[in-house]
Amino acid sequence: MANEALGILDEDEELSLLETLDHVLDRGLVIAGEVTIAVADIDLIYVGLHLLLGSVESVNRALGTRERRMELLSAGARRGGETRVVVETGEGLGDSTVEG
Amino acid sequence: MKFYVYCLSDELADASVEGLSGVDGAAVRLLPVGGAASAVGVVAVLSEFGGERAAVTRENLLAHNRVNAHVLARVTPLPFRFGTLTDAARLSAYVAANETALGEGFARVRGCVEMGVKVRLDAGAKAGAKESGVKVEGAKVEEARAAGVGRGTAFLLAKRREIMGEEAFKARAEEAAARLAARVAGVARESEVRLSPEGPIVLRASHLVARADVAEYRERVRDSGAGFSGIHLLTSGPWPPYSFGVARD
Repeated sequence: MANEALGILDEDEELSLLETLDHVLDRGLVIAGEVTIAVADIDLIYVGLHLLLGSVESVNRALGTRERRMELLSAGARRGGETRVVVETGEGLGDSTVEG
Repeated sequence: MKFYVYCLSDELADASVEGLSGVDGAAVRLLPVGGAASAVGVVAVLSEFGGERAAVTRENLLAHNRVNAHVLARVTPLPFRFGTLTDAARLSAYVAANETALGEGFARVRGCVEMGVKVRLDAGAKAGAKESGVKVEGAKVEEARAAGVGRGTAFLLAKRREIMGEEAFKARAEEAAARLAARVAGVARESEVRLSPEGPIVLRASHLVARADVAEYRERVRDSGAGFSGIHLLTSGPWPPYSFGVARD
């Protein structure tokens, strides 16, 4: 999934991370004054950019890339005009499915 | 001692998190926080934390999610927001102060998971909406030309066309939301929907779904986009009920 050596995430993992970000950073139980988040390192910059500068655009770009790829790969496997892509995720990530 | 807390549960047993590692690789364990006077035996899922703040790194995000997903595989917890650091005394005080709300929260989500849907209308749909606006106004533009309108009038006409395109796009977003709501009505116990008609992701919805209904939910969500050109659905889950716990502080 991820190219650890280059620190690059492919679209599937990027999508899953963005979904995780969407869920865990601004939702859930909060004890007043007890949430502490540090802006510290390369990973933060990489991940945080998507959050702070527009996760919508990131998701949109990743979706577009995947859809174009899937159109090429699964043209012969279409059933009733529907394309279904199941994103394999690592432990702890929710499944993500793109349908269009 | 400072703890990183992942979630609360009123159903979890001691052995259920054995061998699980959390943020910074620390061992995850349970800490009873219900208090002697509590009618509910609440435990916190947590790990020791040595720093001052939790960095938003890929590893930490995955660790936070991994622990909560591990719990979700067994019971439905009330998850904490990422980066919650506290100590045992404050945690117990929080549970005691919010005992009623937490009890209602556990009852609300028991046996359920959170599912998510994002609806994206592609750029072509937006362009098409604008184009239809132009067509609608085309005859009037010709009428205006024949009548010899000035530059200001032509500008206003162009602006009107633009607004009509935006409104057509907004109407499609609302249509998508209505279709989705109708399709999941029987399986989503609760919904939280945010519309962003400016797009491209025009709708973000979270649904509280009984575990037994997840497959049907997915089927219904997929069907909501059938025959609707230019719409793309991104579903995710199951998640711990981040959107359906208790009211935010």
